[in-house]
Order: sequence, then structure tokens, then C-alpha cells
Amino acid sequence: MTTVAADTTALPPAPHNPWRDVLTGSVASITFTFIAVVAVGWFWVGPKFLSFGNISIMGTFLIVPLIVGAFSGPALLSGVVDLSIGSMVGFSSALFALLISLGWDPASAAAVTLVACLCFGGINAIAIVGFGAEPIAATLGMLVALRGIAWVLLGSQGAIFAFNIDMFNLVSMTIFGLPLFFLLAILLTAIAAVIVTKTRMGRHVQAVGGDDRAAARAGISVKKVRVAALLLSAFGAGLGGIVFAGQLGSAARATGVGLEFQVYAALMIGGYSILRGGVGNPVGGALGLLAVAGVSNILDLKAISPYYVNIIVGLLLLAAVLLDRLRGGDAYE
Amino acid sequence: MSLNQAIETAPPAVPLKVRFGGWGTGLMLLAVWLLLIVATGLYRQDFFSQQTVLAVAFTMSIVGVLAIGQGLVAISGGFIDLSQPAGMITASLVAVRLSEAGMPLIVVIIGAILTGMVWGAFNAAIIVFAKLNPVIVTLATNFIGLAVLFLVFQLAEVPLNSDIYHFGRASFLGLPAIFWPMLGLVLVVGFLLPRTKYGRRATAVGGNRAAAKARGISLKATRFAIFMAAGGFVGFAAVLFAATAGPFNPGSGNAMQLNIIAGVILAGISLAGGRGNFWMLLLSVGFLSTIPTSLVFFGLSSDTQSIFQGLILIIAVAIDGYRARKGTP
Repeated sequence: MTTVAADTTALPPAPHNPWRDVLTGSVASITFTFIAVVAVGWFWVGPKFLSFGNISIMGTFLIVPLIVGAFSGPALLSGVVDLSIGSMVGFSSALFALLISLGWDPASAAAVTLVACLCFGGINAIAIVGFGAEPIAATLGMLVALRGIAWVLLGSQGAIFAFNIDMFNLVSMTIFGLPLFFLLAILLTAIAAVIVTKTRMGRHVQAVGGDDRAAARAGISVKKVRVAALLLSAFGAGLGGIVFAGQLGSAARATGVGLEFQVYAALMIGGYSILRGGVGNPVGGALGLLAVAGVSNILDLKAISPYYVNIIVGLLLLAAVLLDRLRGGDAYE
Repeated sequence: MSLNQAIETAPPAVPLKVRFGGWGTGLMLLAVWLLLIVATGLYRQDFFSQQTVLAVAFTMSIVGVLAIGQGLVAISGGFIDLSQPAGMITASLVAVRLSEAGMPLIVVIIGAILTGMVWGAFNAAIIVFAKLNPVIVTLATNFIGLAVLFLVFQLAEVPLNSDIYHFGRASFLGLPAIFWPMLGLVLVVGFLLPRTKYGRRATAVGGNRAAAKARGISLKATRFAIFMAAGGFVGFAAVLFAATAGPFNPGSGNAMQLNIIAGVILAGISLAGGRGNFWMLLLSVGFLSTIPTSLVFFGLSSDTQSIFQGLILIIAVAIDGYRARKGTP
């Protein structure tokens, strides 16, 4: 009797096993979802689904969401959600297109646009970190305000044409048959993943999101981390807007509308939580975006109404939150 | 048991400062509202007209009723119900179909309210049984609901010359007929919530879940009741919406969402739950509904409206957060 008990208590800690992490970690469920989507695409649509041409089409549409997702991940990780990213993309593309149409060169137009985005991110940070505003509600306000500003910038026509041939060539460059910026966005995701999981800074961000009081007691400046995360998310959205304007050669009222839900739904499916910080991984987030894009692509190739995408995304979202809770997230009563 | 009853019947012991703070919200809202009215009036004399009053009262009606539902969810600790647009459009569609079938107005109203309550119960079922946060659940159900609605219909409208059509265009005592039910509902809910057992329970659950549970209040039952009641208000708002909107599509309700949330927060109904006076909704929704008309008189485009609404929401939430931070040392 006693020996058995002793045996079970004295069991050595399980050795680090990357394969078990794949099966149980925060990226596990999205890995399976992603494989399932690819499998469904392969069997239902056929080899065409995984052809370079098709992946290249998906990649082109994924560039902006991937960039925005990679930069807004740290905000989610540190426990503040920034809903204004969609409008920020719209605002950034409108301001950038306006400056280009006024004859500015792309580099200085981009610099001014990014600074403007950082200013609005700063307002978010003051309201949320400075005054203790509820992040969801405060950034919802910023979402609407920025949309208004973008629409005012776009003027009565509701669109600005700012086609710049150098920008367009740069953005639509391809390597190995895939869009260069898509590969860059994937590289960005990989860098973000390394920073979040392997560096001191990334661990600080996770600590703040996991338990801000404990993090504060451990000597981490919670305020600084959250301000930096909100500024980073604004910067990423600004960058996304500039790339968007470069891709389209114009900015319009619809640019970026609803992007925040598209990105956050995918990030949550990918293992992030918008209600508690400290969980999620940029790789999972990117896989979430790829999976949702895959679903939408399958329905598109099968000529099925795009509204079914929203239904599937909504159901996946609920399933993802349920999984997050079962994995140790806060139960709501 | 006796302790339980004592707590439920005793008037809440509120420090004088906090009670004054509640009225402070009202005074501040009134001052800001009057400032807006006076400023617009000084800029353009013709702002003071029956037309302005009609426009403001009209805007207030639907937003006000939806704000009651939103306020109930917030005060009971449910944070925000993001699925109001889908719920309202579903109930509006039911109202349209019922009036197309020639049903009398009362049947149309009951049908819409029941639809709203079923929608609320659907949300509550997911929230309670899966123990998921209402914000995410309602975000997802709104997503799913609107997509299904787009598959079901593209454009709907109540038939001309039906009862509900005339109700939407009638006026009573110089104001739109749809304004009076909103006023009555806000007054009744604001009166009953702090004075009835159920109202105090809802507020208690929002204020401190653990304490409410320890007192024997069923969190699940309260959550269900709150979401169904809030759904009922969404259903009634759907009647007012269908009566006045003309042809509408599944996306027509989205624009109201922000005004409703801003109205609830400005009224001092904390998103953290447990605190708030529903009568303040009349002032906050009134103020927010005056902004569009004022901007028109200032000669600003309707695009600038969203800038003001957004900034006001940020300021309101910042004040709410500052208060909550001061309240809990």
C-alpha cells in the first residue's frame, strides 16, 4: 500500500516533450482545426485547393489580417483588447491615400500616417491605462470615432484614388509563385512568436496578462507593458492600412470595416482569449486566420453563399471559447 | 432565512457621498445636454422648433427601449449584450410577417416581444450551461444571427395602412406616439428595480456574485430571467423599429448599437455591474439623440456624427473606469 502511494507521489516530473505540447498546448486545437480545414478542402474541392495559384490568392487577401493580427496579439496577451484596429486600418489607408494624392512621396506619407496612428493608440492607452476604462468599451468608441475621421478624410466622394506604380509593384512582388508580402507577414508572425515565447520582454507581457497583481509584485511595470502593447497594436493596424492602400491603389469607406471581428474571431479560434490575457501564441493566431480564410475559400470555390462563412466562424468561435474554458479559462457564472 | 429576508427587505445602506454621486451624474448629464441645446440655439435660432423636438423624441424612442435591455444586462454583471441588432431584426421580421398576415396590433406586439424573449433565452442558455462570458457569446450569436437573417430575407417592410404602420406615424400630445411607451417603460423599470425583490436580486448578482450566491440567489435563474427580460425589451423595440423604419435589411440595426452602449454608460449604469439608476437613461439617451440634429444645424456632415459619438463614449468609459477605481481601493 505505502509503496504504491510513495511511487505515485515520487513520480518524476514529465520530461519536456515538444510532441505532447503540440497535442495539449494552446496551439493544439487550432492545429487540428487547420488540418481539418485543409483535409476538407483537399477532399471536397480537390487538388486545386492546394495549388500555388489558389494559395497565392488566399495569401494576397491574408497579408493585411496577418500583419494586424501579429501586432495586436501582444495587446490580447497583456489583457487589453483593442477593438479599434479595423477602423485604424481604414483611417490609415485614408490618410495615406490622401497624402499620396497630394503628391507626397510614399516614405514620408507612411511615416506621417504611422505617427498619426500612434497618437490615436496613445489616446486608447490614456483612457484604458490612465483612467482605468474598460478596454472593450473604450476601443469601441475609438472604432466609431476613427471611422468618422476616415470618412471625413475621404470626402464626399467616399474614396481617394492614389495609385503609385512603385508601391503597387513592391506589394504585388512574388517569390516562388507566392506574394512576397504574404511570406513577409508569415516571417513577421514567426518573429513575434519567438519574441513572445523566448524573450524576457515576451514573458513580461504574458505575466501581465496572466495576473497583473502578481506581475506588479514581481517588479514588472504593468502600465508600461499595456501602453506599449496598445501602441504596438495601433502601429500594426497603421502598417496594415498602408499595405492595403498600396494593394488597392485607393482607399474607400468600406476599407477595414469589420476587420476587427474578422481578426479577433480568427485569433480566438487560434487560441487567444480577448477576456483574459496570458494565453495564445502568434503561430496559433496566424493558423486561425489561415483556417478561416481556408473555410471562406472552400465555400467560394463551391459557389456557396458567403454568409455561411459567418455562421461557421461564429460556431468555431463558440467552440474555441468553450475549449479555452475547459483548458483552464475562467468559468462565467 | 431571517438574515436572507432582512437583507432583501432592508433599504440598501448607501453612504451619502455615493448617493449624491448618483444625482451628480444626472446633474452633469442635464448640464451637458442644456449646454448642447443652448449652443446650437445661439448658433441657429430656428433650432428651437417643433421639428427638432420631434426628431429628438423620435430618435430617443427605439434607442431608449433597447438601452433598458442593455442596462439590465449590465447591472446584473452580464457586461454587454452585443447581439441586440440580430435580436431586434429577427423580432422586427416576425412583426412584419404577422402584420402581413393581417393580425391586430396587439398580436404583432406580443409576437415580437416573445421572439425577443426566445432570443434572450437562447443566449442565456449558452451563457449559463457552457459557462461562457456573455460578451463573446453575444458577439458570436450576433454574427451567426445576422448571417442567418441575410439568408432568410433581404428587405422587409410593414404593409402600408396596417395598424402598426399607422402606429409608427401617429403622434400624441405633440410627440411621436412611439415616444410614450419608451418613457413609461424607463420610468417603470427605474422605479421597480431598486424597490422590488427581483430588481434588488438582479443588482446584487451584478454587484457581488459570490455574496449573492451565498445569500441563496440562484445565479443561473437570475441570468436566465435577466436575458429573457432584456430580450423582451429588444422585442418591443423591434415593434417601434418596424413601425417607423420603412424598408429595412438585416444590417439596419447595427448603427444603433454604439448609441445604446454609450447611453447606458453615460447614465452611470456601470459595465462592472451592481450600480445604476435607470431614470438617468432619459437624460443620457436624450443628450445622445440631440447630437445628430445639432450637428445638422451646425452644418456638419453626418460623418462627423460618429467622431463625436465615439469620443463621447471614450470619455464616458474613462469616467466610469475612474469612478470604479476610486470606489474600490
